[in-house]
Amino acid sequence: MEFTALFLAVTIVMLVAWWGSRAAAMVVAAAALIASVATYLHHATDALNLSF
Amino acid sequence: MERSLAVTLNALGLFGIALVLAAAFAAQLWLGELPCPLCLLQRIQFALLAIGPILNVRFGPRPSHYALSLLVAVAGAAFAMRQILLHIAPGDAGYGSALLGFHYYTWAFIGFAAAIVLIAGMLLFDRQFKGASETLPMRADIFAHIAVWSVIALIALNVLSTLLECGLSACPDNPVVYRLLER
Repeated sequence: MEFTALFLAVTIVMLVAWWGSRAAAMVVAAAALIASVATYLHHATDALNLSF
Repeated sequence: MERSLAVTLNALGLFGIALVLAAAFAAQLWLGELPCPLCLLQRIQFALLAIGPILNVRFGPRPSHYALSLLVAVAGAAFAMRQILLHIAPGDAGYGSALLGFHYYTWAFIGFAAAIVLIAGMLLFDRQFKGASETLPMRADIFAHIAVWSVIALIALNVLSTLLECGLSACPDNPVVYRLLER
């Protein structure tokens, strides 16, 4: 679910970058980047099911 | 490097990102290989990588636009490197199939590393930033329009496919079916 939300957020960022103001696009892009890094860090501590 | 050439190169970069996203989609649809959570995160970083070039095409080249793409590329390279390291142990066949001898996450790392080098290369040319204080949008040509909308369309398709794959709960570590299409 969080990945769907992230893709949706990136789509919105792109539309803001293309149609909106530069400052707004920079802010939402930074927010999306921080959210993606937070998602990575959240999952980085998950137990791993390695295939060997 | 003139401003117009820099904008054209940014549009070309957008086509490159669209190609990467389309190739990932092709592997997903034709080979039936659903992306894992870490794979999805790398796709998201490729998508975020397009924001800088879109801003450069729309408002003209600025160092801050390139800086945003650099930060995204570094994060993407770190995510891809983590996946490489997860599968580097002896006896581990890696995740998914290989393309020309490398798994997709290895290609992703190469892609992000190449993006870092290319963006740093673009930053070497100061003349493109002449008049960068203007905040008025520039007129984009048809080439740039197609580049931008190709990337936006591919990301919108990823919203749909990720929703179908993961449903309304957490994505499985090793997805094999589209959850929302399961009966």
